[in-house]
This record gives sequence, structure tokens and C-alpha cells, in this order.
Amino acid sequence: MRSWILILFHRLGVTVSAPMTEHLDAVGEMRFLSGCVWRCCFARPWRWREIIHAGAQIGVSSLPIITLATTFAGLVVTNEIAWHMDTALNNTAMIPGFTARFIMRELGIAIPALLVVAKVGAAMTAEVATMKITEQIDALKLLRIDPVAYLVFPRWIASILSLICLTLFAIAVTLFFAVTVAVSKYGFNVDEYLNNLRHFVGKDDVIYAVVKAGVFGSVIPIISCAYGFRCKGGAEGVGLATTNAVVASTLAVIGLDFVITYVFSIIMG
Amino acid sequence: MSIRFDEVHKSFGPKKRILQGVSFEVKTGEILFILGRSGVGKSVTLKHIVGVLKPDRGAVWVDGQDVTKLDELEMADIRRKCGMVFQHPALLDSLTVYENVSFGLRTPQYTQSLQRPLTEAEIRKIVLEKLSLVQLPSKVLERYPTEISYGMQKRVSLARTIAPGPDYLLFDEPTTGLDPITTNAVNELIFRLSRELKVTSIVVSHDMNCALKIADRILVLEGGNILFLGDVQETVRTKEPLIREFLAETLELLTPEERSRYGLGEKGAKK
Repeated sequence: MRSWILILFHRLGVTVSAPMTEHLDAVGEMRFLSGCVWRCCFARPWRWREIIHAGAQIGVSSLPIITLATTFAGLVVTNEIAWHMDTALNNTAMIPGFTARFIMRELGIAIPALLVVAKVGAAMTAEVATMKITEQIDALKLLRIDPVAYLVFPRWIASILSLICLTLFAIAVTLFFAVTVAVSKYGFNVDEYLNNLRHFVGKDDVIYAVVKAGVFGSVIPIISCAYGFRCKGGAEGVGLATTNAVVASTLAVIGLDFVITYVFSIIMG
Repeated sequence: MSIRFDEVHKSFGPKKRILQGVSFEVKTGEILFILGRSGVGKSVTLKHIVGVLKPDRGAVWVDGQDVTKLDELEMADIRRKCGMVFQHPALLDSLTVYENVSFGLRTPQYTQSLQRPLTEAEIRKIVLEKLSLVQLPSKVLERYPTEISYGMQKRVSLARTIAPGPDYLLFDEPTTGLDPITTNAVNELIFRLSRELKVTSIVVSHDMNCALKIADRILVLEGGNILFLGDVQETVRTKEPLIREFLAETLELLTPEERSRYGLGEKGAKK
């Protein structure tokens, strides 16, 4: 009986600890990659061709899906806020300010980041993982090319710049459709809406959005590539690495969203 | 100018002990074939030479330098001297065939060794020359790896490896997936590079037929150790059961001239 319980606990321990060890090892890889990309910032020459290629992959190819998602987000958010304000305050006059602030501080930043995780981060992990198992990374080393400088750094730079642009674009699209709903359904006119909006949002909110987008843009490729570099085995390994990377990146975006919001709330009051 | 393994041990986790004290030496201009069953550590042995893998114990000497003690920066010099053809073609998918083959010619280490960068015309000339050596037409130059067959990819990989003119060539199953004509061409190329340019080659393969044709010596790995190391004549005459198994089919296909060259009796004749 006692040995049976011991075996059960042992199995349970192995089941829980194996994935934990894998994730902890991946964190170590992330730290290593972060150090390397910072060093690459000061090394010349920058691989502009790869940076532009990665920028197109991350930024341009994500535009349609981000436009679609933020269109619906814009349509939903005005309705939701209007309902809450009407129910709680019996007043819908504050819709523009509340909507704009929510879009600029959360919705317009989180949606593109999470979509980039799902679309680009997953592709990045799968690509690096496939390169790992087909020995392309070893081939790079033998060609005296630093795999981090060649694979990670261009994606890192491109991801930061692209996500900042995508975030500003997403905010604009979401706001546009939020205004459309406010005008068509709740009787605002555009000038009135924009005047109201100016009281609530300002330059700080733009900085806030850019900082958040920059941070998200810098962690997504690091996490994605770290899981790719740690990939083992064949097709199954690539699948597992991709799943782990998407989960870890999503959690990182949500966790960092909280941390940055908290820090900014202290700084900005 | 040689490669030497001294008591090299390598394991992947406590249960997967791959190399258990492997020691051998490869001389300049020699072609050494490493044979053995799958998973016995042939590719692992090869990867130790270029520092892609580090041993748990032991030393790997390349040109008098223990590569196990070198860091990544110091390894760059060793890697400049070594070219490796991987089991997979390992081409960079985002680059064309031309860009893949010319990749090594544009690296700072290569241009430093020449003391000047190559002009585009010089690079093109080298690329075309290497592609013709592996029997690839120039029309593949602008294609991407995904647009050509697996066999072509393997040949592009070979062309990329030999383009910077390495002193040591390491081949990890170079002819797997190739047709017999291209296989012969690749074997001839390995042989010519060794004899004409004194390039030292280590070839990991399952193909005993190729080994008998071009190898100077054959090394057989089994159970993490060297089971056999000898020249071609010694290999065909050994009574070692595993090697006899490897040889079984090959000996059947030998021509009478080849049989007499290896000191074997006529086919079917009892010894």
C-alpha cells in the first residue's frame, strides 16, 4: 500500500515537474537571448534586409487580421460602455471619454499584441524550431554566422517597430468604429465626440500606448525564438515548442500589461 | 594538420550514453569513412569536430588545438577550416540557391583570410564552378530551396560547403536521397578533393559500397566504442560479424577486378 502511494506521488511529481523544468530552461534561454540581442544593438553591420523582411512578415501581413479584429472591437466597446453608463449613471454623455481612454490604454494595445503572438509568434517558433531540427542553425554556426544575430535580432527590431505601428493603427481603427457607433446609435456628432474625447485622453496616453507596444514587441520574439531554439525531436517537437511559445507569450503579454499599467498608475497618478 | 579524438565520452542524459571513450586520428588528405548502425553516434562524432557538440570528457584536436577548450569566438577560426555537409540539406529557406552557395564567401572571416572582399563577378564564378562540380545547372541559381528537389538541395548544400575551400570536409550521409549517378559524382568529388587538394574528409555513411570505392580507412562504431578501424583490404577480410553483415550485399556486387584488388577469391569460390 505504502509503495503504491509512493509510486503515485513519484508519477505525479514527474508529470508536474517535467513541464516546469522545460519552462524554467526556456526562461534561461530567454535571458541568454535577451543579452545577445542587446549586444547585437551595438554590433555592426545591422542586417537591414532581414529586418525589412521580418518587418513585412510581422507588420504588413498582420494588418488585415488586426483591422478586422479592431473593427469589431470598436463596434462592441461603445455599446458595452454605453450600456454600463446608462445602467449605472443614467447618463451616456461620457461615452467618448471613457471609450477613448479604454481603447488607448487597453483594447487598442492588447488586441494587436495578442494577435501578433498568435499569428507571428507561432510562425516564428515553428520556423526556428524547424531550422533547429533540420540542422540549419548548426549550418549557420559553421558559416561563422551568429544564429542570434541572424535570426533573432532582425525579428526583435522588426517586432518592436511593427508592434508600435500596429498599435497606433489599431487604436485609430478602433476609435473610428467606436465613433461610428456613437454617432449612429447614441446621437453624438463627430465634433462633439472629439471635443469630449480631448478632455480625457492626451499625449501621455499615446506615450503609454507606445511604451506598452514596444515592451510587448520586444518580448514576443524573444519568447518565440527561445522555445524554437530549445526544440527537440521531429514534427511533434515543433508542435510542442509552438504551443508552449504561444501560451508563454500570451501569459507574458497579459502579465506585463498589468505590471506596466501598475507602474504607469504610480508615475502618472 | 590532423584531427584527433582522445578518449571522447558523450551522453545525452543519464540513460543515453553515446560515445564511451572514442579515440582515433585522421591524417591530412585522408578519407575516413565512419560506419555503424543508426543511433550509434556517427553524426555526434562529426559534430564534436566543429564544436557544435562538446564532449562530457576527453579531447578533440584539430590542427593541434583542443576544440573542447575553445569558446565560440575562438571556434570561428576552426570552423573556417572545416566544411560540413549535414544529414539534412540545411539550406537557408529565405535565400536563393545563389545566395546560399555564396553565403560563406561573404562572411567577414573569409574576406579577412583573403585580405580583400570578393567582387560579385568573382563570387558568381566560384558559385557556378561549385554548382557544376555537383552537377547542378545554372538555371537553379535564382530558385529558392523549396522550389527544387531534395536531391538538388543536398547538392546545393555540398556546393555551399566546398565553396570557401575548407581544409577539412565532414560529410554526414552526403549521398542519402541521391540517385546513383549523382552519388557516384559526389563520391568522385570527395575523392578528387582529397587527392588533388589534400582536403581531409570524414564521411559518415551507411553505404559500404561507397566506402570500399573511395575510403582510405574505415571506422566502425558500435556500442559507443570503435569496433573496427582499418583500411579497405582489412575491412573486406575481417571476420567481425557486424562488418560482414554490412559487407554482405556489397561483396555480391563487386566486379572481378574489385574482388582481386581487395584480395578476395572469385565470386562463389570457396576459400
